Amino acid sequence: MAQHPEYEKWQELATKLLKGKPLDSLDWQTPEGIKVKPLYTAEDIEGLECANTLPGLAPYVRGPMATMYAGRPWTIRQYAGFSTAKESNEFYRKALAAGQKGLSVAFDLATHRGYDSDHPRVTGDVGKAGVAIDSVEDMKILFDGIPLDQMSVSMTMNGAVIPILASYIVAAEEQGVAHEQLTGTIQNDILKEYLTRNTFIYPPTPSMRIVSDIIGFCSKNMPRYNSISISGYHMMEAGANSVLQVAFTMADGLEYVRTALNAGMDVDEFAPRLSFFFGIGMNFFMDIAMLRAARLLWHNLMQQFNPKNPRSSMLRTHCQTSGWSLTEQDPYNNVIRTTLEALTSVLGGTQSLHTNSFDEAIGLPTDFSARIARNTQIIIQEESEVCHVIDPLGGSYYVESLTNSIVEQAMKIIDEVEELGGMAKAIESGMPKMRIEESAARKQARIDQGLDVIVGVNKYQLKDEQIDFEIREVPASVRDDQVARINQIKETRDKAQVEGALAEITRVAREGGNLLEATLPAMRARATVGEVSDAMEEVFGRFVANTRCISGAYASEFSSDSESLLQLRQRTENFLKNHGRRPRMLVTKMGQDGHDRGIKVIASAYADIGFDVDIGPLFQTPEEAAKMAIENDVHVVGASSLTAGHKTLVPGLVAELKKQGGDDIKVVAGGIIPPKDYDYLYERGVEAVFGPGTSVIDSANRTLDLIEKAA
Amino acid sequence: MQKDPSYYIQGVLDGNRLMLSRTITLIESSLPSHQEMATTIIEKLLPHTGSAVRLGITGVPGAGKSTFIESFGTLLTDLGHQVAVLAIDPSSARSGGSVLGDKTRMLELSVNDNAFIRPSPSGGTLGGVARKTRETMLACEAAGFDVVIIETVGVGQSETAVASMVDFFLVLMIAGAGDELQGIKKGILEVADTIVINKADGDNVTRAERARREYEAALHILTPGSANWSPQVLTCSALKKSGLAEIWQTVNQHRAALQAAGELQSKRKKQALDWMHFLLEEGLRTWFFTHPDIKATLPKLIAAIEQQAISPTSAAGQLLRILKEKNGEPDTTHAP
Repeated sequence: MAQHPEYEKWQELATKLLKGKPLDSLDWQTPEGIKVKPLYTAEDIEGLECANTLPGLAPYVRGPMATMYAGRPWTIRQYAGFSTAKESNEFYRKALAAGQKGLSVAFDLATHRGYDSDHPRVTGDVGKAGVAIDSVEDMKILFDGIPLDQMSVSMTMNGAVIPILASYIVAAEEQGVAHEQLTGTIQNDILKEYLTRNTFIYPPTPSMRIVSDIIGFCSKNMPRYNSISISGYHMMEAGANSVLQVAFTMADGLEYVRTALNAGMDVDEFAPRLSFFFGIGMNFFMDIAMLRAARLLWHNLMQQFNPKNPRSSMLRTHCQTSGWSLTEQDPYNNVIRTTLEALTSVLGGTQSLHTNSFDEAIGLPTDFSARIARNTQIIIQEESEVCHVIDPLGGSYYVESLTNSIVEQAMKIIDEVEELGGMAKAIESGMPKMRIEESAARKQARIDQGLDVIVGVNKYQLKDEQIDFEIREVPASVRDDQVARINQIKETRDKAQVEGALAEITRVAREGGNLLEATLPAMRARATVGEVSDAMEEVFGRFVANTRCISGAYASEFSSDSESLLQLRQRTENFLKNHGRRPRMLVTKMGQDGHDRGIKVIASAYADIGFDVDIGPLFQTPEEAAKMAIENDVHVVGASSLTAGHKTLVPGLVAELKKQGGDDIKVVAGGIIPPKDYDYLYERGVEAVFGPGTSVIDSANRTLDLIEKAA
Repeated sequence: MQKDPSYYIQGVLDGNRLMLSRTITLIESSLPSHQEMATTIIEKLLPHTGSAVRLGITGVPGAGKSTFIESFGTLLTDLGHQVAVLAIDPSSARSGGSVLGDKTRMLELSVNDNAFIRPSPSGGTLGGVARKTRETMLACEAAGFDVVIIETVGVGQSETAVASMVDFFLVLMIAGAGDELQGIKKGILEVADTIVINKADGDNVTRAERARREYEAALHILTPGSANWSPQVLTCSALKKSGLAEIWQTVNQHRAALQAAGELQSKRKKQALDWMHFLLEEGLRTWFFTHPDIKATLPKLIAAIEQQAISPTSAAGQLLRILKEKNGEPDTTHAP
């Protein structure tokens, strides 16, 4: 197609309006490295593979189903879970009564990491960022009054996936529900855990075997159940831009397909049950295009395995609005952010959706905030009339062209991963993690300079903000309740039967066989999640993360004459001159929370402004963090908490420092900490709290104030 | 900061971790007052040092140094040793800051009560790093650590500096693709007392064994640095914890051989003398270049050389004469 006959006229008009500036000054370079023009025309989509296709037909750009929302809207599936099984169960039942269609269970970090609630390493984590599940008994309470043959249940579980999925199956059995009746999804995506969230237990090789055992068991016994949810969401939350998210997710998917093929399965036996999970951020059109690109990419990539069933190369996905995009400042704005992101997911053609609650940058959702979040979807679905037309943006010059650009950029990265020998090898090389961290550091630098606007954070800030809504608290008694139930179970069960069943799991781990199948008898006999995890750990060992950190990326997003950056560097130089060394800081994440984007960005940015930064290993106890702070003789410890452990772990650190003689070492905290807990922390010796949205420039200056005052 | 050095001295001798750590901070400080205090402290600690095994470890990036130290250090503490690990991390040239991430890979050792790990930023001159590391090593010995491991990044000149302060220098390698010896500096092999090929596990065992033979052949060509020790080449898997006991055995054999011949003592004496000479040269250089007369004259002479108005020889002569006139002619009859 030739240029539009009047294109030159438009150029002329536009240039006139720009008063002398060239037209390409309106071009926008996205973080993904895609150049976006101010105007797209028919010429831009000429001959594109993604343009002019039909829904339900390959390559599925316009949606996996022929009728999409015109036939049936997406499933409203809200992710929730906290405290005890009983409390979560009540929450679920209320949500289902109010219009939610599927369940999505959040587990606490102790469960994710395969520890029972009575384990000494998890005192700060039980029931905090999800529900605590120690055995089938808890699972039965969780689904009390919820018929599992009718309710599709999604479970976010990767590390302790064997005992958790087995408990769910056994809880269903005891409701009288057969395996083949179960519907839902288990996340079971271990690769991304090594990349971003770190809720793994075992090393990659045995973990991949677990994934393949689950795919194998489900394809035989649970035909309506999605045996894996290949997730990009956590990569986005860790800082990946949209191209990185889609590329690494596809690469993960390929690795799982190969693993299942190597285990002897036929591609059409399992590939139709693979599902995906994407995170949707504030870049509206970019993420619509990302979802469309993902479907095209998956279809094309799957062809190498010669599937016969069209469903094998059809990408079905769940989406979640970005938790990271929520702000603590002026938090009602989050309702608007979530609404936009929800609309992105819908226009991108998701199969199910979770919308975040506006208070999630501050604490756990309340009944009120959860209702608003749920209604955001209901209103789009039932009031806005957007469901009538399939892929309404299909044919948009801009969206089709952007879809194509994402496919091209992502393929470059996928090729790079393939050259390294696939995603497992690439992860070993550290490449994907470094790319994501670099992307995160660059994003932070843009925010700190006001180049990426966040209303209420770096523009249009409110003075003297007061939080005027209630925040949910998890009572400290949750752990006591859990421990009591574990003790009770251990007293009443048949000890010999449990031991025999656990020994069998260890044997299967060592000698081969299906681990999920082998775990069912143990769960029936009331073995705990921790015991089953230990039975496998005996053979597999526990994985230790290799924490590496990029440097230079934060500073390189600043212009070389940036006042605030130069001023900070001058301050650290002066500190060196006056005190004989650079300001030294330990950043640590204590407890079982593995979300390390925050500390990685901080470490990288602080090093870029002239700090010496020690990074603590993941999963430290307060005692271990204090020992490290003292041996390294740091001026200050920065403790990051995102999962509600701050009230136990951070004061614990202050106390440990004191006990070990380092009471002059300052403690600052950052992450998701409700403002009403600030005083609680200050009273316990924490010197500063940096909430979400604090710029690095600001927190570094305040940290320097603190240690200069003391030195 | 406490003013009284005896506070630190007693603390270190008592094996107090906090005091040891604060003493190291003084040693690393660039403030003259701190350095002076550190010198006093080290002076007093010196009689309590010298009995530890001093181990230097280096290796190419990716050789698995941290994992090796994690496993090897844990083996040593299991044998009843007190292990100090001093790790030198590179600082950024642009910001001067650094990320010190070593302990994240020494998970078990970092929480071990019989181990002390101190990562230090390399910031500043090579001589500076060497001085700090050396004195830190002495402080650790005085605090009761009987094995001190000094880890450096595997590129640059720091290896030779570290080799000149330890008893035993271990170079960690991996079996790579292609030419095993490519990219390895001859200088590193010359100072190695033992080369260890790490990651000899799984399907990598044969390749590691082949690499071992190749290094052995390469070492045969070099003249050994000691008359009493021929460098060994071993394999291990830090991950699977295999081959580590053999490495410790080799360290002990080396020690016994050198001790029997009196070489350990003479080696340390020589290291001390070399060290003094190094400090002397560094001190002279600093003194020379910070002298007000030199600072006044040097830029003029540089300009003159650039304009070819004066020869370099005559410029150097003029500069040296400034100080000679002030401090008298040296006695050249006893030049070393």
